Amino acid sequence: MTSCAIQAQGLARRYGEVVAVDGLDLEIGEGEFFGLLGPNGSGKTTTIHMLATLVRPTAGSARVAGFDVGTDPVKARGQIGLVFQESALDRTLSVAENLRFAGMLYGLPKAEIERRAKALLDLFGIADKFHAPTAALSGGQRRALDIIRGVIHEPRVLFLDEPTIGLDIPVRRRIWRFIEGLRQRNRMTVLLTTHYLEEADACERVAFIRKGRLVTQGAPRSLVENLGRHTVEFESRDIDALLERARPTLGKGLKEGNTALFLHGHEDTAPLARLQDELGDLVTAMRVRRPNLNDVFLWVHAGADLPGGRP
Amino acid sequence: MSMARPILAVLQREVLKLGRQRTRLLASMVRPLIWLLVIGSGFGAVLGSAGGLSYQQFLAPGVLGMTMLFGAMLSALTMVYDKESGVMRMLVIAPFAHYWIVIVKTLSAVVAALLQALLLMVLLALLGYLRFTAIDVPVLLLGLLLVPFACAGIGMLAAAFTKTLDNFAALMNFVIFPVFFLSGSLYPITQLPPWLRVVAMANPYTYGVDLLKHALLTGVEGRFAPDFSVALDAAVLAGFTIVAVTIACVRFSGETAFDSVIRVLTGKKTG
Repeated sequence: MTSCAIQAQGLARRYGEVVAVDGLDLEIGEGEFFGLLGPNGSGKTTTIHMLATLVRPTAGSARVAGFDVGTDPVKARGQIGLVFQESALDRTLSVAENLRFAGMLYGLPKAEIERRAKALLDLFGIADKFHAPTAALSGGQRRALDIIRGVIHEPRVLFLDEPTIGLDIPVRRRIWRFIEGLRQRNRMTVLLTTHYLEEADACERVAFIRKGRLVTQGAPRSLVENLGRHTVEFESRDIDALLERARPTLGKGLKEGNTALFLHGHEDTAPLARLQDELGDLVTAMRVRRPNLNDVFLWVHAGADLPGGRP
Repeated sequence: MSMARPILAVLQREVLKLGRQRTRLLASMVRPLIWLLVIGSGFGAVLGSAGGLSYQQFLAPGVLGMTMLFGAMLSALTMVYDKESGVMRMLVIAPFAHYWIVIVKTLSAVVAALLQALLLMVLLALLGYLRFTAIDVPVLLLGLLLVPFACAGIGMLAAAFTKTLDNFAALMNFVIFPVFFLSGSLYPITQLPPWLRVVAMANPYTYGVDLLKHALLTGVEGRFAPDFSVALDAAVLAGFTIVAVTIACVRFSGETAFDSVIRVLTGKKTG
C-alpha cells in the first residue's frame, strides 16, 4: 500500500437517536479492491454516502482521492464514481442519451463520451445496444449500464453499493467479470458492499461492520483461516441442550435455526467424533467442513467474539 | 470545471423529453386555445369590447402567459420526478455544488416554457388573435425572458418543498390554479373586489401578464389596458425570480433537506 485512496477516521453519522455509523476507521490503498460487508442496517450504505460526500458525517473525517469530503466535496466528487443500490438511469432515454447526459455532467466532450461509452458497452458485450431504449434492456444489462454510467468519467475511486443485488447467478457472475475487467482497464480503487459473501472472495480485503462499527478486516482468506480449521454443524431436536453440552469441548456455538454451529481450531477431528458419541441421541446429524466467509459473517452478525488466530 | 457542459446536458435532456412527450406538448397548446375560444367567446359576449379591443384579444396575453406558467411549472416539477425516478442521483454525485442543480433546472424550465410560448404564438398568429401592429417587440422579448424565469421560480419554490409526486394534484390546486386565476389573465385586476385585488397584486405572476399586455396590446386604453408600468413589472419579475431561486438553492443545499433527498433516493433510513 503506497498511498491511501480512502482514509476515514472516527467517521460517524447519527439520525436523531439512531446511530447509523459509529466511529469508523478505514484505510484503503490506491488501486485496492475492498469489500464492506455486514448485515442489513449495519451502516454500509451510510458509510458509502459519507465517503461520496452525499451525507455529512456528524463526527470524524474522511479523505477520498486526496480531498477532504467535508471541506472539499466538489473536488472529491470529481474523482469518484458512485453506483447506487437503485438505478440512476432515465428510463425514457436511450443508452447513448443516458451516457451522454452522465458524461456531460463531468464536462466531457460528446465525441469522447461516445468513444468511452462504446468501449465500455463492448466490454460488457452489449456494444449493439448503443442506440437502444434503456427501458428495453434486461435487468443485468441495465445494471451494467448503471455501472458504465458511474465510470464514464474514469474516476480514481469507484463506490459500488450492492452491485449485484436482485440479479440471478449467471448475471451476477457476468457483472463481477465486468467489474474485474474495469479494474484492470482503469486501475481504479473499488469499494463495494455486498450481501453475497461468496462474491466478496474476489476482494483483496474485506471489512465486516456491525451496528456501524468495524468488527474485523483483512484478506478474505486470512479471515476465514483465522476462524479455525473446521466449521462443525450439528442438527438436533434440542439445540439449546446441545449448545450447552458441546460447550466445554468446542466453546460457544451459534444457533442457526435447527442447526448449531461451532468452530474447531484443530486439524485433528478425532475429538469431534468422541463428542458425537458422548452427545448420543441428542445429535441427529453432524457435518464437518472448511469455514468460509459466510461463517465469518454469521459470527460477526451474532456479535460473538471472533475466536481469531486459534492454532 | 466550467458549468457550460452540465447546463447543456440538462437543457438537452429537457428538450429531448419535451419532444417525446407529445401529449404534454399538445396539452400545452390545447389548454390556452380552449380558454381563448371557449371561455373567451362566452365571456366576450357578456363583457363586450373596450378601447377597440375584443375580450378574446384581451385574453391573448393571458393565454400566452398561461402556456409559460404551465410549461415552466411542469418542467420545474421534474425536480420531484427526478428525485423519485432516481435521475437526481446522477445530478447529486456530479462534481458541482448542489445549488447548481436548482439553477440548471430553472434554466431548463425557462427553455421549456419559451419553446411552448413560441409555438403558441405561431398558432395565435395563424388564428388571427395576434395584432401584429400592436406588438411592442422589445417589451415582448423582455416578457419572453422574464415571465418564464418568474414562473420557473414559482415552480422551483414548489418543488423545493415537495417530497413526492403524490402531492402533485395538491400543487396543481393550491399553486398553479390560484396563481393563474388570481392574476390579471382573465379579467382586469382593477375590476376585482378590493381584497382580491390585494391578493392579485401580491402574486408575482400578475406582473408577468401585465408585461405581456404591454407587449401585445400597445395603444389600448380603458379597462383592458395594463395596470402597471413596464419598469415595475420587470422589477417585480426579476426580483421575485432571484428571491425564489435563492430560497430553492438554500433549501436544496441545506443539510436537513438534503438528507431527506438522500433518503428518498436510497429508499431507506439507515444502513
